[in-house]
Amino acid sequence: MTESKERKLKINIVRMVLITLCTMLFAACYAVVEAKIYIDITSPALKKLPIAIYDFGGISGKELSNIVKDDLEFTGLFTYIDRAAYIEGPSQPFNPSNWTPLGVEMVVKGTVKEGKELTLPVSLFDVLEAKEIFKKEYKAGKELVRPLGHAIANDIYKALTGEAGIFRSRIAFVAEGSGMKDIYIMDWDGKRITKLGLKENLILAPHWSRNVDSLIYSAERNRQWGIYLVNFSNRVVKKVFSSKGTNIAGDLSSDGNEFIFSSSKDGSQDLYIMSLRNNTINKLTSSQSIEVSPTISPDNKYIAFVSDRGGSPQIYTMRRDGSDIRRITFEGSYNTSPNWSPRGDKIIFSGRRGTNQICIVNPDGTGLIQLTMQGNNEDPSFSPDGRFITFTSDRDGVKGIYIMRANGEAQKKITPKKMKAFYPRWSAK
Amino acid sequence: MKKIVVLALVLVFGYMLIGCAQRKVVQPQSSVTPEEMRAKASERPEQRVPEEKITEQQIAKIETREGEMLTYAEEKSIFEDIHFDFDKYDIRPDAKPILKSIADWLMKNKSADLLIEGHCDERGTNEYNLALGDRRAKAAKDSLIALGIPSGRINIISYGEEKPLCTEQTEECWQKNRRAHFVALMGKSK
Repeated sequence: MTESKERKLKINIVRMVLITLCTMLFAACYAVVEAKIYIDITSPALKKLPIAIYDFGGISGKELSNIVKDDLEFTGLFTYIDRAAYIEGPSQPFNPSNWTPLGVEMVVKGTVKEGKELTLPVSLFDVLEAKEIFKKEYKAGKELVRPLGHAIANDIYKALTGEAGIFRSRIAFVAEGSGMKDIYIMDWDGKRITKLGLKENLILAPHWSRNVDSLIYSAERNRQWGIYLVNFSNRVVKKVFSSKGTNIAGDLSSDGNEFIFSSSKDGSQDLYIMSLRNNTINKLTSSQSIEVSPTISPDNKYIAFVSDRGGSPQIYTMRRDGSDIRRITFEGSYNTSPNWSPRGDKIIFSGRRGTNQICIVNPDGTGLIQLTMQGNNEDPSFSPDGRFITFTSDRDGVKGIYIMRANGEAQKKITPKKMKAFYPRWSAK
Repeated sequence: MKKIVVLALVLVFGYMLIGCAQRKVVQPQSSVTPEEMRAKASERPEQRVPEEKITEQQIAKIETREGEMLTYAEEKSIFEDIHFDFDKYDIRPDAKPILKSIADWLMKNKSADLLIEGHCDERGTNEYNLALGDRRAKAAKDSLIALGIPSGRINIISYGEEKPLCTEQTEECWQKNRRAHFVALMGKSK
């Protein structure tokens, strides 16, 4: 008898424990659902997400929804379903049964109100779960239609992938107008090109500060290559470094307090790091060979650069103090212009394969892939999320700025047809 | 003995469950009147929609910059260029008579200085070409020093591939661009 009682008790305990565990599990599951990721960008077998985006109405509504559409489509993660197919009217309430026959999984709705400024409430609906998963009201001055469109695309991208979008980032580049070189800044999609007005004879690649308010660049003035810092919010151009020889600015450190550069001030082209706070300069390499084009890893611990110490220009990495130098490119006899991914996991460079081509490689030298095929492709620079690359190409006869996905897909020119443009650098955010 | 352990466990779990259940029950009771609840419910949809005002940092045009004045008057085209092989910076035999004539001219014209510009063809990439052009100019400078010209009279600058003489994509054209160019600098005004 007592034994059977004991068994009952045991069963009861097991039940209670199970109930407790179930409750805990349910709570845990609920928490996971709240941070659902609709597109797993890291998945190799990614299925594109079919998305419907309404015309937001009014004069600027069409432009706004096209910006959102173009931004999302360029990522390669979405399939845009054309507006002509929509059954649901823009003012009708969201009803999932209007969308499942079209194969649409996400719906973006919004109607712009044009008063003194633009007001645009935007909603994102999940068809499969039949609910609104994002809602926000945007306000913007009428001159900021494009930044507004990009801000909406950023939020939708974040809601669906869990990652920050790069659609408000910018690209700085150098171009020539009436004999003088100047730095230009444009949106990442090539729109809204703005000239800084520097009027230099020759300018090399600009490098962004982390907070995107200034650029460091090299220019030739009076037969000397100097390094200059231009802050375009307060209109100041400051000389940072100048000496005899060839001085070429590299990346600013992520805290903005230092920058790396290459200089032949001591005879041979070597790498240096300079503090912008107290102007101290540290020499990082000392060799008779050429060391040039340094780029800092996002954790600030490593530097990739070009050296001809092995007889031809190749990409090397080293620790930030100049120690532990390793060669990472072995294919081809001319590999230059490295740029370190903001994620830290890849380095892109221009490699001579008959003509110059953009290549991508792991920082340990494994996994080399050639991303471009046509013409000469140079000066690669990663987007802030490491998912896209901007570069220069002469494939259509005139050197211009291109963008593509980091796997080489969707290559397109973004500067005007006849504009001779080079040295693109993607902003840090 | 077993019974006691089992009982204790039952009590502990039971307490935990009741404890949990009680906490759940207690929450909604906590001091909110039905009126307040209704008020909150009607406010909520408005409150919940996040807003964002889109702003942008202005990019101001740079209108002035510090001036850096020229210190020399240039006299161009007195000397022939010397040429280099692709991705090389050693002085070829055909350059030696040209360097000799430049050294002779500098010996005669003691008030003049010399600027050597290093140039490259467009096939490489710009930054590496600047370093290569620097090497070419330096190689020419070293040859002139070996011919007796004091190093203080020779300035160098690299233009890499930034100033091509010839823009066609032929080997003949590329060869013209892989050069060291010599400029006499007259009337030093230091």
